[in-house]
Amino acid sequence: MPSPALAHRAEAAGAHLPPLVVEAERVAATVMGGVHGRRRAGQGDSFWQFRPYLPGDAASRVDWRQSAKADRLYVRETEWEAAQTVLLWRDGGPRMGWRSHLSPVTKAERADLLLLALAALLLRGGERVKLARAGARPFSGRRALAALAAALPGPPAPPAAEAIPRHGRIVLFGDFLDPLEETRALLAALSARSPRGQIVQVMDPAEETLPYAGRRRFEGLAGEAPMLLPRVEAVRGLYAERLAAHRAGLRQLAGQLGWGFATHRTDQPPAAVLLALWQALSPP
Amino acid sequence: MITFAAPWLLVGLLALPVLYWLLRITPPEPRPQSFPPVALLRDLPVTEETPARTPWWVLLLRLLAAALVILGLARPTLGPQGGVEGEGPLLVVVDDGWASGADWGARMAAAEAALEAAARQDRPVALLATAPGEGGNPPRVIGPMPAPDLRARLSALRPKPWPTDPEGAARALADWRAAHPGPFAALHVSDGLPAPALAAALRGASALTLLRAEDRPRRILAEARAEPDRLRVLLRQTPQPAAGEVAVLARTADGRALGRILLPLPAGATEAAGALTLPIELRNQIVRLEIENEAQAAAVLLLDERFRRRPVGLLPGAEEGADAPLIGELFYISRALEPYVELRRGSVETLLSRPLSVLVLADRPVAPGREEQALAAWVEQGGMLIRFAGSRLAERPDGLLPVRLRAERALGGGLTWEQPQPLAPFPEHSPFAGLPTPAEVLIERQVLAEPSPRLSERIWARLADGTPLVTAEARGRGRIVLFHVTATADWSSLPLSGLFVQMLRRLVALSAGVAGGPEGEGPLAPLESLDGFGRATPPFPAAAALPPGEGLPAPSPRHPPGWYGPPGADAAFRRALNLGPALPPPVLAEPPAGARLGRIETLPREADLGPWLLAAALILLAVDLLIALRLRGLLPLRLRLRPRPAAWGLALLLAAAPAAGQPLPEGAAANHTRLAYVITGDPALDELQRAGLIGLSDFVNRRTAVTLAEPVGVVPGESDLSFYPLLYWAVPPDAQPLSPAAIAALNDFMRHGGIILFDTRSEGSGEGFAPGARAALRRVTQGLAIPPLAPVPEDHVLRRAFYLLSELPGRFTGGQVWVARDTDRANDSVSPVVIGGHDWAGAWAVDARGQHLHAAVPGGARQRTLAYRFGTNLVIYALTGNYKGDQVHVPAILERLGQ
Repeated sequence: MPSPALAHRAEAAGAHLPPLVVEAERVAATVMGGVHGRRRAGQGDSFWQFRPYLPGDAASRVDWRQSAKADRLYVRETEWEAAQTVLLWRDGGPRMGWRSHLSPVTKAERADLLLLALAALLLRGGERVKLARAGARPFSGRRALAALAAALPGPPAPPAAEAIPRHGRIVLFGDFLDPLEETRALLAALSARSPRGQIVQVMDPAEETLPYAGRRRFEGLAGEAPMLLPRVEAVRGLYAERLAAHRAGLRQLAGQLGWGFATHRTDQPPAAVLLALWQALSPP
Repeated sequence: MITFAAPWLLVGLLALPVLYWLLRITPPEPRPQSFPPVALLRDLPVTEETPARTPWWVLLLRLLAAALVILGLARPTLGPQGGVEGEGPLLVVVDDGWASGADWGARMAAAEAALEAAARQDRPVALLATAPGEGGNPPRVIGPMPAPDLRARLSALRPKPWPTDPEGAARALADWRAAHPGPFAALHVSDGLPAPALAAALRGASALTLLRAEDRPRRILAEARAEPDRLRVLLRQTPQPAAGEVAVLARTADGRALGRILLPLPAGATEAAGALTLPIELRNQIVRLEIENEAQAAAVLLLDERFRRRPVGLLPGAEEGADAPLIGELFYISRALEPYVELRRGSVETLLSRPLSVLVLADRPVAPGREEQALAAWVEQGGMLIRFAGSRLAERPDGLLPVRLRAERALGGGLTWEQPQPLAPFPEHSPFAGLPTPAEVLIERQVLAEPSPRLSERIWARLADGTPLVTAEARGRGRIVLFHVTATADWSSLPLSGLFVQMLRRLVALSAGVAGGPEGEGPLAPLESLDGFGRATPPFPAAAALPPGEGLPAPSPRHPPGWYGPPGADAAFRRALNLGPALPPPVLAEPPAGARLGRIETLPREADLGPWLLAAALILLAVDLLIALRLRGLLPLRLRLRPRPAAWGLALLLAAAPAAGQPLPEGAAANHTRLAYVITGDPALDELQRAGLIGLSDFVNRRTAVTLAEPVGVVPGESDLSFYPLLYWAVPPDAQPLSPAAIAALNDFMRHGGIILFDTRSEGSGEGFAPGARAALRRVTQGLAIPPLAPVPEDHVLRRAFYLLSELPGRFTGGQVWVARDTDRANDSVSPVVIGGHDWAGAWAVDARGQHLHAAVPGGARQRTLAYRFGTNLVIYALTGNYKGDQVHVPAILERLGQ
């Protein structure tokens, strides 16, 4: 149930999207630098490579002109033509709009940045990008990033499975702090349409380290009942164990589906996780 | 005893258990913290028992703070509260005479406490101060009025430097009773001195409380008497049960204490006497005697000119030739007394027309009749007549002689067998007792005294054979003293000796002092008054001039103790009016029957504890706040009391910082030009050399283009000498021969243009200041390549390198200064050594404030200036060689160039 205040905040977040776009382009450029030398897949039937003929290749694929220059037969391979549609989703829930004193940005801001940067990379690579939202339209072309950024704010909603085209890929950004069963149900629905997906868990450093002490009353952001801890420092170890278990569950869940799972902390630079994502998404 | 101004507030203490219960069950408010993964925190097992409840000591702290607040608001008061019983208004009688000055603070505190108590009882109060006011107005009862209104009147009271007026106070009390009939209670803050009239008047009170300072004796300085060699002081006091001692301070006009007289006081003693022995010059500076730590008017004695000024009249036998040098009759007397006293000349009438202490008749017979009567009357009134014998007196003895004269006798000489007689030691009763009798004083003639039974007690000085030299007789308040020799050197060598001066001065000091204006005395206006604490203040408004005349009035509001004199006159004509001598011996009065007695000393001031308790509660609450913050983890408080070893090391390093004058670090010496001295091993001498070179460096820096850094001490053979143009070497008398390494280093230093200034510090006017230094110089210079020496020639460059100098003094002058003879062309004729003994460093030496450390001998600013100039020349000489010598030729060279 998106509250008006939340929608209002989302609008406010959208107001500063152009800088977000710029930042996303910058992050994407750094990652592009990191994958320098990689050949890009292009659309159309442009030449990719010649390779020696192997038994089983269709005769129609033999490039006779090339084969005539040598003693062997060569098969002409064209470049990977089919552009994929990558669905992107980030959790817009109230939990994401939080940041601790240890982090410079909220989780939502970081998730937006990651999403747009990844979108920038994909758009440069010629892929189509679409928000995993019912009724969303795909974007393609380099210029589409600003339009995508403009379309990003919206009511928080779980990723819509029906928006996924068949064999489309999906990347989910969020904190995934819901109970594992809920996440499992969500992912099961998604994986029915998309066999391959990526989960990026964006966490605040305070959520990992629990850097509080003394007597505290913890209040959730999604309407949970408050929780009073008399001595926070005493339960720090237990909390870490519990968080690790939750994360292991997520990882196992993703593994079962054949999805990738990565974590990101908002106090770390976004380029690392972006590079990992980009490599995971690139064709084998 | 503690009372509460608002005792009903103490009921609040009953609320403490409730507070305890509340604090007990209410844990501190947790700090809210938003946290998305709160679900992960749910149902965490708490492994540690956390203090969900407030720790007991925090609880205790808060309860204590609350209790303090309640107690503080109840305004507890500590101190004397037993107000005066009885009915009616309270009459506070305060003795504010001289005897109250010493413990005035305690008295006022006691009276104020009574006012406080009365204010709490809403009791009207009246005030009666028993001494006459500063305007001379008699005692008066103020009030009755509410106690707070009276407080200002009470605190305006000051002790008075005169006695109380019990009769006047009794009259004032009677008047007040007439105006306000009815019962009254009385509190008498008494000085303990008898006041029967007032005691009788106070008997009418419904309740009487008498506060006295029993432990504190009332002391007065009753008398000071100048004697020839001492100043006697008499102190009176009320008897004390325990023995003790009192110190009397003698102060000068500017407040310095010149002496301290300790007066022992046995138990029960009422008097103590003591004496201060001081040279007469110092004693004459004393203007004030005071009992130490006793601030009241009667504990101060002002000493006026009567303790000092002794005009001496001189009368010769014959006026003509009386002052002739060496043979005049008054020559030796006036030479002996001139520095110390005021000498007057003239006829008997003119001399006696003004106050005179001493009259000296040098071999002058007294004419019978009016002159003899006038002189006799003057002696009776306290004059001291000193007579010298002689041929005239021997012929015509008169009545104003202490003994009857018999004959003249000559000792030694052609016609007698007897030898000139020396002096015998002075008898004990003589004022000359204690003076040394030099053996060279010989008496050749004297007049003899007729033997009489009382002769020996009149003899103040006698010869070795027992015949009298000085006899004296007291007449009335005065004395007649006869020297049995002349005042010239004819009869004896006594006038030639220093003993003569001392004897005359003792006689003059024995005489009575004279005070007052030079001419007929007018009224003496008050110049300065003593207040009730014995402090000098401007005269009180009501103080009136002292009437002319002999007797001094007793101190009173009209004539407060202090200084009186003609306005604008110098201190010589001031007269002191003292309180102590005018007072009767102090005695303690018996306390009246039926009075409640209190002691002033045992009454601590009333203290309102409320603010203190509230402040303590505030501090506790602040501590509690800090603790609460700490418990919530909001205060990252980590006490670090363990000192860091590094810090300690730094502190030790700083403490052991190298003293100035230590050898410089490697290479630093090359950065600046600086003078150097040879470290001799004698710390005082090394410091002197250092201070001297600092002074010289400053001077040279100011006067020339040379910029010298701070001088440094060197050890030949160990330090690298090549950086220093000049070595100063004060040779101590115990200097030992040098080591081969040092000799090699010094020879190398001299060969390469260095100059060594050897200073034996024992030449010229300093002869004998450092015996053995010349031999030491010889020992030290053994093995050094010293060239042939000559005294510094008149045209030597050293004499004109910067200043033109005809002499080369240091702290001493007059000795010879040696340089290399001008035959050595090896070093461009620059002498590698300068040897002298004028202690130049002593003349140059300055301390940190730029003041010279040593006086020049024989002295004078000129000598020091010349010493600095020599030093400047020496530095220029060391830096430029004989460049200035070449300058001499410049005119000739220019002339040649011109051609």
